[in-house]
Amino acid sequence: MTMQTLVDGLVLGGLFSLSAVGFSLLFGVLGVVNLSHGAFVLIGGYAAYTLHEKLGLDPLLALPVIMLGMFCLGYAFQRSVIQWATKRASLLASMLLTYGFALMIRNALVLIYSPDFKSVTPAYAFDSLSFGEVTVGLTRVAALLVSIVLLAALAATLRYSNIGRTIRATAQQEQAAALCGVNIRHVFALTSGLSAAFAGAAGVAIGLVMPFSPPDETLWTVNAFVVVTLGGIGSPAGALVGGLILGVVNTMTAQLIGAAFPNAMMFLLLVLMLVVRPAGLLGNSFKGSR
Amino acid sequence: MSADVILAVRGVSKSFRGLKAVRDVSFEVPRGSICSLIGPNGAGKSTFFNLVTGYFRPDSGTILFEGRDIAGASPVDVAHLGVARAFQIAKPFPGMSVTENVRIGALFGRAGPRDVEAVTQSAMQLAGLAELHDREARELTVGQLRRLEVARALAARPSLLLADEPCAGLNPTETAEMVAILRRARDAGATVVLVEHDMPAVMEISDTVLVLEAGALIAQGAPQAIARDPRVIAAYLGTEE
Amino acid sequence: MKLFVSGRSAWVSIAITLAGALLFALLPAFLSPYGVRVGQLFVLAAGLAVAWTVLGGFSGYWSFGNAAFVGTGAFVAALIELALPGWSPAGAFTVALLAAMLLNGLLALVIAWPILRLRGIYFAIAMLGVSQVCYELVSNIDALRGALGVNLLDIVPKDVRPERFYYWALLLAATAIILIAICVRHSKLGYGLLAIREDEDTARMLGVPTAPYKISAFVISAMLTAMMGVIYAHNLGYITANSVFRNEFNLNVIVYSLLGGMGTIIGPIVGAGVMTYVTQVLLGDLLDIHMFITGLLLAILVLAAPNGLYGIYDAYRLRLKRQKREAGR
Repeated sequence: MTMQTLVDGLVLGGLFSLSAVGFSLLFGVLGVVNLSHGAFVLIGGYAAYTLHEKLGLDPLLALPVIMLGMFCLGYAFQRSVIQWATKRASLLASMLLTYGFALMIRNALVLIYSPDFKSVTPAYAFDSLSFGEVTVGLTRVAALLVSIVLLAALAATLRYSNIGRTIRATAQQEQAAALCGVNIRHVFALTSGLSAAFAGAAGVAIGLVMPFSPPDETLWTVNAFVVVTLGGIGSPAGALVGGLILGVVNTMTAQLIGAAFPNAMMFLLLVLMLVVRPAGLLGNSFKGSR
Repeated sequence: MSADVILAVRGVSKSFRGLKAVRDVSFEVPRGSICSLIGPNGAGKSTFFNLVTGYFRPDSGTILFEGRDIAGASPVDVAHLGVARAFQIAKPFPGMSVTENVRIGALFGRAGPRDVEAVTQSAMQLAGLAELHDREARELTVGQLRRLEVARALAARPSLLLADEPCAGLNPTETAEMVAILRRARDAGATVVLVEHDMPAVMEISDTVLVLEAGALIAQGAPQAIARDPRVIAAYLGTEE
Repeated sequence: MKLFVSGRSAWVSIAITLAGALLFALLPAFLSPYGVRVGQLFVLAAGLAVAWTVLGGFSGYWSFGNAAFVGTGAFVAALIELALPGWSPAGAFTVALLAAMLLNGLLALVIAWPILRLRGIYFAIAMLGVSQVCYELVSNIDALRGALGVNLLDIVPKDVRPERFYYWALLLAATAIILIAICVRHSKLGYGLLAIREDEDTARMLGVPTAPYKISAFVISAMLTAMMGVIYAHNLGYITANSVFRNEFNLNVIVYSLLGGMGTIIGPIVGAGVMTYVTQVLLGDLLDIHMFITGLLLAILVLAAPNGLYGIYDAYRLRLKRQKREAGR
């Protein structure tokens, strides 16, 4: 029983991690708290839903397409709107700006898809795998795999590729990077694109596992924040640690204390963590923790 | 210690991650004097100010202010005891008028609640800001901001004023003005300790000069003696030109 | 101890507030019941926004979770009224109101110690967390009746129309909040808070006792917010956790300040007025795209006028001042 809870928690945690990693990256590199991140996650989910319903495209096959589309969206969002806001106003004001976009996206999703819950149900949605006493739905296995593979891919990209190195350098020393000939605006926009692409991917994975509706955007934004606070800013590893802890705490609380309390527990954890170690378990991977 | 020593520093050291910013520094500042702390960049001058104002806690040693050890006391407590600090990079409250800025100094300083206005006015007078009283801080020039910084510190009625490079970036006229202001502050009853790079100003104003190099006190004495001290010339003045 | 540091401007502000409140009190005579309801929304928004400003605007500690105090205040009042069955509505209401304010003050005092040590975005999000925890606890603990809902006493006198009564009640509360905010702003506390907002470390070196000041502002802000919440709850008549722990209460208060002018008292009032007018009157019929328009406005606002309407006025005033000075030379 407890083993089952743990596995469910890990699956959920994988989703939390994947949905948070883009938020974390943007926060770490640009210092922008993107309150429309949850809305980006939902756009991914709804895109998978539409592609599956209209074209019969399997969500896992649609994943690369959706990520590419979201990447472009994120890139454009940074170059057009966020860049302008951060140049002219404070970062706190950029939070309000992105909150405004979250409201617009939520409203648009309600108009297009209705406020009802939707879910993505490919043919294998009802199959499951069993390991001893533990049973896991096939879609859940897929979601967990997607999360882990993508997180690993992002970690590798940031660590070993040229663009990853440029992103990290820019995050640490913006002006120095600019002096070395780095096009800061382009790097920031790339980061924002990556962030949105991973949000979209998370949306697809979430769609496989649970129903979703437009107001959920707040939930996914807040979850991302909690994950970052727990794990640390900027790194895929931090997102993974924070997400998995959150997922397990979530299912364990539901199991042991009551189905109604995971969120309260999550926030209690958040507040405690902020007080004890504001930089998260792994710290800020880009800037020295203060 | 004698009653006319306002600040006595004894064997104070402070390191940051192994880097010794201040090492075993001892000296005394007589009440009513103007004392300058000089030294090359990174010599530990600002760290020293941070130690006295309670922003950092020294690793060892004592800092006696009017006979009381203030090493490790909180900045608020140190301020209330009568130590005020004027920052190198002026940190005024930009949306407030000059009067309001100075008034904050007076409010949280040692003036009684009924004297706040009088103290505010006299501090502005002393710093030559009376004419600018309704100007907002963000409208001021660098020189005026620096004077505002000093006025705000003086409004707290400190017995010890720590001035962090009050003349940096000022033109000769403004520097002369600042020197006069610091003199008037001393005449009004404050002991002044300043960190300063402007050598002519230091030579003109100081009763005592302390020279720090790499965190250690290498010389102290009257300005003329310091200017002739070979160690000082080697460490500091020699590298200046 | 003098009450005000800057006496004259404080008394001028108080006089303007009282005159304005009187003017607004006369409005229902000229408005339709629908107009009065819009007025209620405006006064509620203004009161909550000014209560938020006492901490957020003055000290720069932006709380993203003031709904915690609206909701907790409403539920404390509702449950106390439930526990006083034999009492007259007015008596029970008074006790409930005072208890709700007191308890929220205590709640703020308890959480202040850990979370006011956080700065900037971390404080903001911790407060969001606090409001979520309060919401979840009230919804999920059966005794608190957050999911089921609870009725509040009918405190409207017989010969007054309910929408007018609540308009006046909310106006009275909002006026009290504005007056208290003015007192705070012009007192030593207010100057200390402004110093904290500009630079907390400098404030400490100037001798501002930052921790007690922040906590005081937080407690005052929480109590005033709770007061507004209690009256709002009575206006609703029947509340659930969902109807009082609303996300709008968390974020709209900030929007009002940003729109009107952060850190001022007039700013959030003007901001609340403009937003209420735009969303309720201009777009009153477009419920479907309400959220979209609000979001769009927000985006335009941040991009076009980052310092709010007050910022535009302020830049104009500074220019005038400079011109006058140069002309006088």
